[in-house]
Amino acid sequence: MQSLSIISVNIWQILISFANLAILTWIIKKFLFKPVKKVMDARRETIDSAYARADAAEAEAEEHRKNYAAAMAAVNQTTDQMINQAARDAERRGAEIESAARDRAREIREQAEADAQLEKKKAEDEIRREIADVSTQLTEKLLEREIRPEDHRGLIDSFLEEL
Amino acid sequence: MTCLTEENRTRGPDARFRVKDRLLIAMMILPLVCCIALKVCFTPESEGVDISGAMIYLTIQGFPVQDLVITESQINSWAIMVTILGFCLWLTHGLTEKAETKRQLAAEWIVEKCENLVSANMGERYAGYEYLVAAIMGLSALSSLSCLIGLFAPTGDVNVTAGWAILVFALVTYTKMQGGFLNYLKGFTEPIPIFTPMNFISEFSLPVSMAFRHYGNVMSGAVISALIGTALRSLSRMVLGWIPVIGSIPLLQIGLPAILSIYFDVFSGLMQAFIFAMLTMLNVSGSFPQEAWEKRQAKKAIRKQRAAMAKA
Repeated sequence: MQSLSIISVNIWQILISFANLAILTWIIKKFLFKPVKKVMDARRETIDSAYARADAAEAEAEEHRKNYAAAMAAVNQTTDQMINQAARDAERRGAEIESAARDRAREIREQAEADAQLEKKKAEDEIRREIADVSTQLTEKLLEREIRPEDHRGLIDSFLEEL
Repeated sequence: MTCLTEENRTRGPDARFRVKDRLLIAMMILPLVCCIALKVCFTPESEGVDISGAMIYLTIQGFPVQDLVITESQINSWAIMVTILGFCLWLTHGLTEKAETKRQLAAEWIVEKCENLVSANMGERYAGYEYLVAAIMGLSALSSLSCLIGLFAPTGDVNVTAGWAILVFALVTYTKMQGGFLNYLKGFTEPIPIFTPMNFISEFSLPVSMAFRHYGNVMSGAVISALIGTALRSLSRMVLGWIPVIGSIPLLQIGLPAILSIYFDVFSGLMQAFIFAMLTMLNVSGSFPQEAWEKRQAKKAIRKQRAAMAKA
């Protein structure tokens, strides 16, 4: 079999080799780089969209948290108001009850004082009546007997003792 | 029966996938095997030192200037191209978004490395060159390594590397013309018109130097390997020839040629592939006429504006 000499230039061979490299470049572009890059791009897109979704979810959660905090604050405020209201009501009711009780006590005392006054008056009246009775009796006694100064004095003393 | 068909259905895509895989692997291996078979069939029996170029399989006469000869280097190149195509198809077979296979990781590693290499050496403008760089590296490395399986390395043929170098030269020239054809011609007369012939020589020395650097490295390795192999065989016959049975076996050929092969075939082959690719990148990106290109773009923009004004 014939061989080329160790250095021999053949333009057709050069052309073939030129075409070979060009074709191989196309092959590598079409069958290696294109599919691999497509898959890598698809993966990047998937990852990006996953990140975007995660960010959106985080933002949403944050918003929920804020809403919840606001709602909680509102609820706390209402509760405070209600408690204050209740405390005020209770105070007012207490004051009312107290004043009513005081009124009633005064009434009772006044009543008692009036009763006592009445009793006193009655007693005075009784005493007066008794005094009148005693004077009447005394007068009767005096009239029965002659009045002497010592008798008189003794009478008065006995009267006073009797009184 | 239903059970069987169901099983077949569930196994169907998987089995088809595996069959396609095997076919692609066969596509990688068979061309090289055919090349070996072809070489074995055509190699003449010879004993002495035989240092020559590629074997001629076919000569087609009637072409202008020179006859078209189909040699080992062409056939091997084509076989290697088919192997690379098969390898690409095998790598990209069954790609998924989640990158579940090692094969896909390898494919992505190759693509990313090429991208990084090109963008680091050439810049973002030349992103399209990553295919060429990958092709040069693959073709050159596999061509040089094909001598490990007994084939004639296509890169040991100056015509093959010359073809590649001319492609690179064409790309360099195309890049230089980005600043306008007249500017390109004017570039030859710089710094003074007397330098024009020298500039021409330096311009055309680029493809020549690239072609001969690669070819010379691979060919010299093959020549040295052949010489040392033959020398060891002769030495073995001289020293051990008198022993009845063992004497017919060239025992001294064991060892040294293998070590030399690691250097000349593997290391040098890969090195030259890398060097050729690096030179391609540096020459193309280095020949870009930045200033002239910017001026030209500005002129174009002005012309466009004027055209728009005229229309209005």
